[in-house]
Amino acid sequence: MEDDYKFAASTFFAKNHPGETCGSNGLPLTPSSITILGRSQRLLQIEHPNLCTYLDIIRGKHERIIVVAEVIGKALAEYTTKFSYEEIINIATQVACGMKLLHDGNIIHRTLSDDNILLDSNGRVKLFHYGMYYMTNEGKEVPFPLGLPRYFSPEAIIGGGGPSADVWAFGIIILELCIGKLWNNLKPSPTMRRILTLVHSNNPAERIAREHYALDAYKEIPENIRGIIEKCLKIYPSERATFKDLHSELSSMNTRTPSEIKPVRGLMGCKLQYLYHWWQLAGGDIQAELKKSGLIKNSPPILSMPIAILLDGPTIGGKTGALFDRRIAKYSLDLLKNRLSHIPPSDFYPLMHERRRDYEAMALPKIIRERDTEYQFYRLLWFQRLLHGYPYTAQCIRSEAEIDIPPLVRGDVWAALLGVLGDIETHYERIDKETPTHTDRQIDVDIPRCHQYCWLLCGAEGHKKLKRLLKAWLLTNPQYVYWQGLDSLTAPFLYLNFCNEARAFACLTAFVPKFLHKFFLKDNSAVIKEYLAKFWQMAAFHEPQLATHLHDINFVPELFAIPWFLTMFSHVFPLHKIVHLWDALLVEGPSLPLFMGAAILRQLRDTLLDSGFNECILLFSDLPEIDIGECVKESIDMCRSTPKSLSYRRFTNEPEIKDPMVRYAYITYLNTFICKIIIYRDMVEIPMEILLNEVCPRISLSDFFSLICQDKCCVIDIRSNLLYEKSCIEGSINIPYSGVHLGQHELKSLGPQPYKVLVEAVKMNKIIVVASAEDGTAQLVRDKVFDFIKILYKGSPSRFI
Amino acid sequence: MISIAMATNRSAQRPNGAPQTKVCQFKLVLLGESAVGKSSLVLRFVKGQFHEYQESTIGAAFLTQTLCLDDTTVKFEIWDTAGQERYHSLAPMYYRGAQAAIVVYDITNQDTFGRAKNWVKELQRQASPSIVIALAGNKSDLAAKRMVEFEEAQAYADENGLLFMETSAKTAMNVNDIFLAIANKLPKSEVSTGGAGTRVLNDADAPRASSCCK
Ligand SMILES: Nc1nc2c(ncn2[C@@H]2O[C@H](COP(=O)(O)OP(=O)(O)OP(=O)(O)O)[C@@H](O)[C@H]2O)c(=O)[nH]1
Ligand SMILES: [Mg+2]
Repeated sequence: MEDDYKFAASTFFAKNHPGETCGSNGLPLTPSSITILGRSQRLLQIEHPNLCTYLDIIRGKHERIIVVAEVIGKALAEYTTKFSYEEIINIATQVACGMKLLHDGNIIHRTLSDDNILLDSNGRVKLFHYGMYYMTNEGKEVPFPLGLPRYFSPEAIIGGGGPSADVWAFGIIILELCIGKLWNNLKPSPTMRRILTLVHSNNPAERIAREHYALDAYKEIPENIRGIIEKCLKIYPSERATFKDLHSELSSMNTRTPSEIKPVRGLMGCKLQYLYHWWQLAGGDIQAELKKSGLIKNSPPILSMPIAILLDGPTIGGKTGALFDRRIAKYSLDLLKNRLSHIPPSDFYPLMHERRRDYEAMALPKIIRERDTEYQFYRLLWFQRLLHGYPYTAQCIRSEAEIDIPPLVRGDVWAALLGVLGDIETHYERIDKETPTHTDRQIDVDIPRCHQYCWLLCGAEGHKKLKRLLKAWLLTNPQYVYWQGLDSLTAPFLYLNFCNEARAFACLTAFVPKFLHKFFLKDNSAVIKEYLAKFWQMAAFHEPQLATHLHDINFVPELFAIPWFLTMFSHVFPLHKIVHLWDALLVEGPSLPLFMGAAILRQLRDTLLDSGFNECILLFSDLPEIDIGECVKESIDMCRSTPKSLSYRRFTNEPEIKDPMVRYAYITYLNTFICKIIIYRDMVEIPMEILLNEVCPRISLSDFFSLICQDKCCVIDIRSNLLYEKSCIEGSINIPYSGVHLGQHELKSLGPQPYKVLVEAVKMNKIIVVASAEDGTAQLVRDKVFDFIKILYKGSPSRFI
Repeated sequence: MISIAMATNRSAQRPNGAPQTKVCQFKLVLLGESAVGKSSLVLRFVKGQFHEYQESTIGAAFLTQTLCLDDTTVKFEIWDTAGQERYHSLAPMYYRGAQAAIVVYDITNQDTFGRAKNWVKELQRQASPSIVIALAGNKSDLAAKRMVEFEEAQAYADENGLLFMETSAKTAMNVNDIFLAIANKLPKSEVSTGGAGTRVLNDADAPRASSCCK
């Protein structure tokens, strides 16, 4: 069954740089395979009915490249029967149509031949592997010549040729379809010599026919087809027709309306990229199959060892496999069909108004869900629906993204979450990304250090794109400057939108004001200080014991957390972790990073508690493995359980909290919170100096009252007895601050009544509020609250449980 | 973490039969234009490694390494700072209270040498008067692309009383040597065991610094 094979792989070797050659900057040369991968990303984006979609470009061992692409039917070369002229016109029309798209996109085929034009039983034609010349940088990155000599145009043989060389090849192919194979059994160099002798001829097509004793057959070709052939086989490239002309001419000749192909339904009707993805998740393995079918041969490594290595690099001897194998291996989708056979047909068409389904896999960690065929099947189809409806489905996308985002559409989903809309291409197009600026040197030295383990970002293509993005962003944000770290911040967007720079740019543009408002100001010290202070407060709120310890050893976030927040962790973690962090970030909003920081501290908690200053700072200079799934989960929990006003920052784009902010401290211990409150009359904004001095955050009055109403807090009033007796919050206990002594570590010493209430509150998981009414004793109160924390955490925990 | 630092501590060999050696702790800071190879030098010195694609430094990084001199063990607490001019305002936090500094430039780039001179000036003005300053002309493996002459830098160093070496983090040339030269030049009279790192903050105007450090 034709339908069984949906894609195929072929393989070749990229050029090996001899020895350990270095570029002029002292850095190693980019391996050719990396360059090829970088360039081929663009090919992965091409979708056209007459072009086989590229599905994957894989880098194997020893500079091996494996190309996976759609296949249909079989190659023209494999058909033994002669085609009718009607069929030939049909084939030519479709080839011209595919070629027109390639030339419009400045992609030269160069290897067009009868073995990469595929035709199926419905008369559909698709070009296969048309990107070889493009991805190999005009053949410069591979150690073998590209293309079949008999399709070379004269100028291509002598080392030149642009797009019009493809037109020549096209002409030869049609000629062959009409009068049979040309220069059959001739070796490459005589073939090329023959072609070169054509340059003296007025009508190369006729001359070729004569040389093949096929002049009669040639004369029999209908005039219009012959006309097409002769327009292609002109010696001067400039005289040849273009595919645009050819296509329109052929279309008008084509009498054949492509036989009605019934749209395929069910699994085979799904997007090819999805099928390939699911097939892989179901256990499909391109390389293993290639080995099975003999396209990758495994010989013992010793055989590929060079016999000699010259001092200046090059090696002699050593067996390597064929550099380029014209064969392709086709893959059956049976594996996937079997895997998904139990899925009812209606599930292929999820409806928006259906209630969200609960899948078994939902309980599993995200990384496992991402590898689950069936789960990804459902998620992808669902997201495809939602994305199709964007922007009207924005809310829906957000709530689905909260569960998880299928990796295959992450770029699209992020753009939707960031509200990217409109004609972003034109906008990006208009920005000057070339004019040199004084920031260029810094960008130039940073880019080759930015996420270079990622093969997309480490090649020349990636470098160019990243530079353009950075320059474009700086130009459109004149209020901001380039801070080292902006490169890392841009990298995830480029990584997910490698062939859609405009969207990468739009995402970055939307991301910064939301998450890093004012961070890239020339003078950003106030912004960063506030952010770090808030982070420290949130850490103290959720990890009081750790916070007291770090406070005691004088360990401050300025020493380690600047890169965390300035780059939203993109300078700290590898891309595969960043994407999961940012998935959560984009859904939860701008407060989440504060809690992510706290969650990282929590993960390192035991080590930190045992460490002094030096060990702590060493730990952060070389951050140990962090479980990102756990970190995301914890941070979301913390974020949601923290009253909004606590993480309030002045430097934010979020709507302001209009409530008077109440001077406040809020600390958790064993899932219980203690907080402190001093009621101000009319202060909304906390002066920076005070904020920076506060270990504990403040809360808005409304958040405070809602806690009281829900009976979620226990208030400790630390005013004097006198004031307390005059008026107090109902249910509060009074521990005048003068009654707490430094160095007291017993909860009991607070007195029997407070002890009872506190123990009760801790048991009920309540938030403990410490309240005062004046500002003059701010410092005092701060210390007192700190004492409370110490008392609570130094007392044996069993007392509280 | 501590054990890792020890394990990679290649130069710390116990002097035979010496029951007790004097332990000195010094705070050392690396300064210099971005991408001259500060982080690479530290990585080479501390872990013996070189990464072609060493990530840029944001803020600062902290590492330690121990060297053994004849009768003293010298523990360096190294602050590797960010090179971009914009991060300049953070620098005092790191060089204040430092006993030694390595100012790095890239021998293939004249501008970085100019920047190095500015750092030296700043240190002479603002840092502790007794600070030992070393000038490192890094990337000496790229001599073919040299833009700063050895003699020029040597003369400048002599004028200003700096230690000077051309180094290569890539080939490891002179990397240990420059740290060793600094260790030799540092006064080793007082035995300090307190974390010099902690001192950074006491000296800086970090608000939360108090005297409670052990
Ligand atoms: N050839 C050569 N390259 C080096 C040498 N030292 C560093 N590099 C390279 O120079 C680049 C910058 O090195 P870093 O160590 O990151 O520079 P830095 O001074 O720490 O830069 P910032 O962190 O931005 O201040 C990296 O790509 C290194 O691989 C060297 O001795 N020789
Ligand atoms: Mg660095």
